[in-house]
Amino acid sequence: MNETYFKQLEETLYHEQLPNGLNVYILPKKGFSKTFVTFTTKYGSIDREFIPIGKEEPVIVPDGIAHFLEHKMFEKEEGDVFQKFSEKGASANAFTSFTKTTYLFSSTDHVLENTKTLLDFVQQPYFTEQTVEKEKGIIAQEITMYDDQPDWRLYFGAIENMYKEHPVKIDIAGTIESINQITADHLYECYHTFYHPSNMVVFVVGAVDPNQMMNFIKEDQAAKSFEEPQEIKRFFPTEQNSVAYSERSLQMDVQKPKVIFGIKSNNATISGNEMLNFELSMQVAIELIFGRTSAFYQDVYDKGLVDESYSADFSMEQGYGFTMIGSDSPNPETLVKSIKQTILDNTNEWNFSDEDLKRITRKKIGYFLRALNSIEYIANQFTRYSFNEMNLFDVVPALESLTMEQVKNAFETLKNEETHTIFTIVPFEKKGQ
Amino acid sequence: MFQQFKLAQGVKLYVRPTEQFKTISISFKWKQQITEQNAAIRSVLANILQYSNNVYTSNAEFRKRLDDLYGAVLYFDTTKKGNYHILSLNAETVNDAYLSNEKVVDEVFSLLSTVIFEPLMKNGKFVDSIVKREKEQVIERIQSMYDDKTRYAQQRLLENIRPNHPASISANGTVSTVQQITNEQLVEMYNTILSSDELSIYVVGDVNVEAIKEKMDKHFRFSSRTPVQEPSTVDIKQASHEKDFLHEIQDMKQGKLHIAYHTPINFYSEDFPIMQMTNGIFGGFAHSKIFMNVREKESMAYYASSSYSSLYGLVFVFAGIDANLQEKAVLLIDEQLKVMQAGDISDLEINQTRSMLINQLKEALDSARAQIEIYDQYKELNEAFTVEEWIEKWSKVSKEQIQQMASKIEKEFVYFLSGKEGADNE
Repeated sequence: MNETYFKQLEETLYHEQLPNGLNVYILPKKGFSKTFVTFTTKYGSIDREFIPIGKEEPVIVPDGIAHFLEHKMFEKEEGDVFQKFSEKGASANAFTSFTKTTYLFSSTDHVLENTKTLLDFVQQPYFTEQTVEKEKGIIAQEITMYDDQPDWRLYFGAIENMYKEHPVKIDIAGTIESINQITADHLYECYHTFYHPSNMVVFVVGAVDPNQMMNFIKEDQAAKSFEEPQEIKRFFPTEQNSVAYSERSLQMDVQKPKVIFGIKSNNATISGNEMLNFELSMQVAIELIFGRTSAFYQDVYDKGLVDESYSADFSMEQGYGFTMIGSDSPNPETLVKSIKQTILDNTNEWNFSDEDLKRITRKKIGYFLRALNSIEYIANQFTRYSFNEMNLFDVVPALESLTMEQVKNAFETLKNEETHTIFTIVPFEKKGQ
Repeated sequence: MFQQFKLAQGVKLYVRPTEQFKTISISFKWKQQITEQNAAIRSVLANILQYSNNVYTSNAEFRKRLDDLYGAVLYFDTTKKGNYHILSLNAETVNDAYLSNEKVVDEVFSLLSTVIFEPLMKNGKFVDSIVKREKEQVIERIQSMYDDKTRYAQQRLLENIRPNHPASISANGTVSTVQQITNEQLVEMYNTILSSDELSIYVVGDVNVEAIKEKMDKHFRFSSRTPVQEPSTVDIKQASHEKDFLHEIQDMKQGKLHIAYHTPINFYSEDFPIMQMTNGIFGGFAHSKIFMNVREKESMAYYASSSYSSLYGLVFVFAGIDANLQEKAVLLIDEQLKVMQAGDISDLEINQTRSMLINQLKEALDSARAQIEIYDQYKELNEAFTVEEWIEKWSKVSKEQIQQMASKIEKEFVYFLSGKEGADNE
């Protein structure tokens, strides 16, 4: 077992890769009464074209299948896994994103028994045509629920505007039509390809004895048999640099227009430290120029162009990335004009001092230290970082060594107008004005 | 759990030293009887005090100061609790122990003092332009509820079953009450908060109790006040309403089913733990009767659950369903309560529910903010609140008690929000 001590944070991280390829990380936290265990596969909604394990030809599977599979993992021949967790006082959950599927529980008691339940239910698939059919009604209601949420439609509308080919533009849950095509055979094919231990990570954080937990997981895995690890071949279409649509809108039953100004990032092939530095540089640049202490924000807030729903963020994974600046706004056109002008002005003249950079960096360090109080945050973020070959605990030193040059270079990737897009949701009566 | 100190009459300090967190969390909670008008005025006042003050006169300056203090968080919020409206000022700061040679914590206390005692005023009034804009912000916050169909449906349900009652008054007030607020009313409310609201101050983190007391003395001066005592038990009598069903139509795809039930048991009742267990089995968890039957067995919903609003003696059931299945869903949910009333409650369900209630409480206490919120409520029953005390209460609850409790729960109202009736769900 490898042990890494992060002095500044006073945290010790334990890690071991097991013979079957599974990576296990354990972070004991003093003073906490709960333990949070996540079991994650590097498999999400964007993995729709791949060569199934043991086969030679690539297949394309129905949209929404990773999320469907996540739902179906909870049902076993003997019943619902939630029942088993409830009995041992554990709250269990799962979520599917563009790039990963995570199963988790948290409990203050019976942690080893609950860990066993987690490992077993994720590693013992049970799908029948009947149980698959039954789930379609539940997921159809989930899709319908999201269809009625304007903020979700706004976010996805902006992504659909940006990407012409890349499957990030497809809703994680798929559509009612696409999930109706899913069969038990599809689920087994995806399961066997992506749920091999070598494509997965277990992360344990909280009130836990690292040696005891590591031995427990090791013994559990040694008693189960798996196929030889095999490299997973995934295929992604070539994506153009420019956006698919520069402007679109949707009518919904909302009180006030909503807008996102999106900027597609074409720097999405990087990983590891390069990715960490680029991501942090972009976040700092956006905070400087579009954050709540910026001249831009003060101006648009005072003019009533934005409200409490305002946000400005950058996010990326391998293969895609985007900046989104958005708010509910009585006048989306004027707000967008102001955003564009701000990008132009800062490209022409960079007016920030080292003191400004220091202030933003401090703010981000403070935010990070606060986030470390939340073991959910640590568990979720740690796995994301590790899938991208980064280390969550490198964030503070990376922020401290960030230079103005890096921040400025990151900002310059925002200026190309071909990567800009606008998506708005407008109330019914205002369409066409 | 917390050590408590009386700072003045009606002003109490609660401190919990713990090494659990890398930050220090602070809350000031001002309490006053809730009315629609008070809620509106206090919400706008919270926004004004959060925007700027006499030392940091613009919002950008104020926020830059917070950034410099390692991104200290400082925000107001407004909530309600029973008959009371609570105005909270919350702060979270990195503990100096994790920074080299810094005195951030003292600076944050000093800033809190500035926010409370030195608002930006001219000639005894707030700045008109700020008042106008922050009124707009609160109005927009209230209106944004309309875009969230679940919140909207719940509010409509409450307005129908408890009109003009603390249960249905929003902690932000209403659009029309906010619109009517004057600068003078805001100043008057500000003075009331300083002079007569009951105030509880919470500090949680790796702190020295004596040092916190010294900081309170150094930065704050609170006058004694005699808060108006509201009855702690909320009027939970079943209000009379003419109808017990309402279907409203909006342009949307899903059907939002919200059902209200009345229970004679509230947070202050001796039988409160029995009612918690009863709700847990009915629809409180993923093993509950509603979840297992409405979602897992019938595949009718993605979410289907119940929630016990203990300060108002109400139980709510929520489910997102196909717009054509409302009647079937209501029958199925009714059925779940009926089988409980008939005694169909297994030992497994009781054990699962007890384990989940215990886990929920213990887990919540892993967050500093939740420690403050939970203690703020439970201290009203017993200032020596402990988790063990509650584990014991839940352990004593028997099947017969749950069955009897289920029989006391009465359905009051069904509210259904959906797209056009009979329309296809695409």
